[in-house]
Amino acid sequence: MISSEDAMKKPVPAPDADSAALWHGLRDGMLLLQHCADCGHVQYYQQAMCRQCGGENLSHRPASGRGKIHSFSVVHRAPGPAFKADTPYAVLLIDLEEGPRIISTYTGGKPEDVVFDMEVMLVCEKVNDEITLPRFRKA
Amino acid sequence: MPSIRKQTLRGKVAVIGIGMSPVGKVRGKSPLWLAADAAKKALADAGIGKSGIDGVLSSHAFASPFHRFSVAFSEYLGIQPTFSNTLQVSGATAATMFNIGAAAIHGGLAEVVLVVGGDSLLTGLTPDLALRSMTESRDQQYEMPFGIPVANTFAMTAHRHMKDFGTTPEQLAEVAVVQRRHAMRTPGAQQTTPITVDDVLSSGMVTTPYHKLDCSLISDGGAAFILTSAEHAKALGIKSPIYILGGGECYTHEHIFLMPSLTTTGAVESSRRAYEMAGYGPKDMDLAGVYDCFTGTVIMMLEDLGFCPKGEGGRFVEDGQMTYGGQIPSNTHGGLLSFAHSGVPGSLFHFHEVIAQLRGQCGERQVPGAELGLVHSLGAGFATNATTILGTENTL
Repeated sequence: MISSEDAMKKPVPAPDADSAALWHGLRDGMLLLQHCADCGHVQYYQQAMCRQCGGENLSHRPASGRGKIHSFSVVHRAPGPAFKADTPYAVLLIDLEEGPRIISTYTGGKPEDVVFDMEVMLVCEKVNDEITLPRFRKA
Repeated sequence: MPSIRKQTLRGKVAVIGIGMSPVGKVRGKSPLWLAADAAKKALADAGIGKSGIDGVLSSHAFASPFHRFSVAFSEYLGIQPTFSNTLQVSGATAATMFNIGAAAIHGGLAEVVLVVGGDSLLTGLTPDLALRSMTESRDQQYEMPFGIPVANTFAMTAHRHMKDFGTTPEQLAEVAVVQRRHAMRTPGAQQTTPITVDDVLSSGMVTTPYHKLDCSLISDGGAAFILTSAEHAKALGIKSPIYILGGGECYTHEHIFLMPSLTTTGAVESSRRAYEMAGYGPKDMDLAGVYDCFTGTVIMMLEDLGFCPKGEGGRFVEDGQMTYGGQIPSNTHGGLLSFAHSGVPGSLFHFHEVIAQLRGQCGERQVPGAELGLVHSLGAGFATNATTILGTENTL
């Protein structure tokens, strides 16, 4: 439950058993994707089994960080006070070079510069000692 | 997925009562009152007392502290049902309540089921609850740290639709204009001031491509329905029972970045299953209630429900095909965009309208000779989809 005092703070991810490695990797500057040794499926959303074949033979490999914008929307009205100062900002759906799609926001430029199919590059943005967010800039 | 279903509930269950609370800004009334007020009207409409109900299905309510809304509701109304659940698949909940209610009756779990929902998003939310409803609906690790408003996921689907099919902001706006015109003829509608395409486009950007008037309202309100077996409806002497002919659902993802396609949704499969059960197709429908949290949602749904080919939804709307005289008059009450949107119960108003139309009770906004109607409910960035097909006695 979120209280009024928390309203001014942006939500910070709380890593769990499924996602600990992802957040650990980001802290070290890597976006770790799960590769399935049984069927070759690659997934960004972290879970202890492959979404395609159900296998549990998954290994983490760092993504190249390169991707392409599949869709986007520039937020002018923030979801709560914590994001108000950031508006306008561009929310992105990015197709990573390795296949998986990821949601993130645009950094290092103006939101109006974002276009479909634009090539982007991972930026690891530190939030605190535990959490680093994967964001994207123009490649 | 199994392709042949031997069991069907087609025509087995009828809606025998409908009711609606006041909607829009309803000060000083709790979600439970809104639901109970609607329920009392539905019972009166069916001509039965509350002791005649043995099942209750409800949606949950953001502005209510009860985790088991259906159970709290039964206590409030003073009944002790032997079948009950509070369903939660976001905006799709409305149609799932009809489908599951019908299945429960057909399967013998209950004889008379009250389907009900009520919420007070406009006047009943404390600041904390409002914030919670805004921020806790999406993944706390993968989505919310980036500041993703509810409208944003839907906006990214509409934006990609514009890129792939040339859908224009004007075509999106036309949905809002048409539905406002519909709401002007609906007693009690929340927004009845006429608007133009220019009004929509100059109403201020929320999240591209959606302006304020591309987004649904925030409202208070509730609706309720009485479902029972076709036999029991006859025994009660119900004059114009409206039958549930088909139902279907489809759940394609949870996270927006795992949606299989941003422009073709689970509504294709949920409606295919509903049409198949009903034995009718999209061309047979006389009207539709199409979930309309945003204008682009309607355009994509008109395609996915089979009313026009993929990619042509924008032109379809522009050509007047979603209003009177067009191929499929849709949201004739004004929908979530102009009638009322009290959260999850909002889609129950589509059911109220389609059933009232099939009964021929809609006065100056009546779709002449309406016998078959479809309602499609969806939610959570198209994660959840549910379709119900309804018809008069003649369509059995």
